[in-house]
Amino acid sequence: MDNILEIKNLCKKYDNFELKNITFNLPKGMIMGLIGENGAGKTTTIKAILDIIKSYSGEIKIFGLDNRQDERKIKEDIGVVLDDMFFPEILTPNDINNTMQGIYKNWDTKMFNGYLKEFSLLPNKQIKTFSKGMRKKLEIATSLSHHPKLLILDEPTSGLDPVARREVIQIFQNILEKDECSILLSSHITTDLEHIADYITFINNGEIVLSKTTDELLDKYGIVKCSEKEFKSISKDDYIKYKKSKYEYEVLVPNKKEFKTKYNISIIDKITLDDLMVLMIKGGKSNDRIYKKRFSYDKK
Amino acid sequence: MIGFIKKDLAMIKSNLKLLGILIVVYAIMGLIGKMDISFIIPFMCVMIMISTFSYDNYNKWDAYSISLPNGRTNSVKSKYITTILMTFIVSIITIILSFIISYVNTKVINYEQILVTMFGTVFGTLLVLTVMYPIIYKFGVEKARIGIFLIVFGTVIIGSLLANYIDITNLLTSLSFLKDYLILILIIVALIMVYASYKISEKIFTKKEF
Repeated sequence: MDNILEIKNLCKKYDNFELKNITFNLPKGMIMGLIGENGAGKTTTIKAILDIIKSYSGEIKIFGLDNRQDERKIKEDIGVVLDDMFFPEILTPNDINNTMQGIYKNWDTKMFNGYLKEFSLLPNKQIKTFSKGMRKKLEIATSLSHHPKLLILDEPTSGLDPVARREVIQIFQNILEKDECSILLSSHITTDLEHIADYITFINNGEIVLSKTTDELLDKYGIVKCSEKEFKSISKDDYIKYKKSKYEYEVLVPNKKEFKTKYNISIIDKITLDDLMVLMIKGGKSNDRIYKKRFSYDKK
Repeated sequence: MIGFIKKDLAMIKSNLKLLGILIVVYAIMGLIGKMDISFIIPFMCVMIMISTFSYDNYNKWDAYSISLPNGRTNSVKSKYITTILMTFIVSIITIILSFIISYVNTKVINYEQILVTMFGTVFGTLLVLTVMYPIIYKFGVEKARIGIFLIVFGTVIIGSLLANYIDITNLLTSLSFLKDYLILILIIVALIMVYASYKISEKIFTKKEF
């Protein structure tokens, strides 16, 4: 089994939102970052994987098994952190330990207590006395303490201060060094993912815009900064999106090297996932009238 | 499923102390010959358990519980099992206390009266559970509170309306042959009701989206 997670043509329709033909694979031992703006469909995708939402179409396979038919078997090996805080706040970490002992066959109390110590979480304190960062760390400790083969983390760093965010990211890096665990990590804070994700899947408006390795994206893609005259000389086939700022054009190109050999434009910046997201969502393409009309960046 | 029961029990730890105090108060009041509050005690079990739904709802536990192995089924099953276990354990303690109080006060134990009172109370408690839990699973705790008020209010109105048309004394006389089997009938009816309620709640929660 090469892929830990396989999603094929996942569709889910709401009154005001639709998830359209989501298809991607997560290979074993890899981290995939699921990016997209708020409301793009990241959480809906994760909820479908975990069967928290119903009546969706498509195929979801985890460890090669159907996520609904083999639910119990699959969920024994999945660790989950959801977007919202989810532990009743009158419980203590000790209560969580007792609870999980009766839920997971592989629950490891020693490991859980080790994480509590590492994260400086007091076992007998009620969760309501914890800060947001501490609660998140408790959720992460819980998600890791039954030796999962797949971690599904929905916005695990959202709402955390930069120090706590860095700590949380460090925790995931340590896990990857130690275990043969795969991670699906959704976040709209893309800088977190640049350092740790092997793959990036970008969802926009319920659709997958791209799904590639992080190296390919960051090494190959680039942002060309040029004048209007230079921009007009670029063939429409050689760029994906563009944005006109006050003094220059920012043009997203899929292959920096090829572009350099073809055009005599010297400023080609390395791309960040933030740039990519902004340009893909808000940028226009000269033959794309919808984008032109909606965002009219080129008119400003 | 044991884990889910442990979680619910951990959530009502402080309320269990309250239940203990209530039992002690009942014992003292009974021994000094004041009001009999034994009927409140099992009923408190369901009320305390309903508070766990509020905590679950407020902290968005339900969505997370589905991500756990067999989460949808075990979540519902554990609520019913915990409530029934609590009700029975507390009822047995109350019955034993009632025997002691009855013996201390009158030197005679009125077995029949105590047992009928407690079975009636447990039956009433389970009736509340069977009605409330599916409503909670469908509409949430807040709406369920309004629901139970409407059900009680409606039952009283329908009951008083029916009383105008039906001769209650005659009805009771004609049903008097059931008196000897009353406890057995109550147990069977309660079991059927609880099972049906559990199945409805399970079906609702299995289809629920978060």
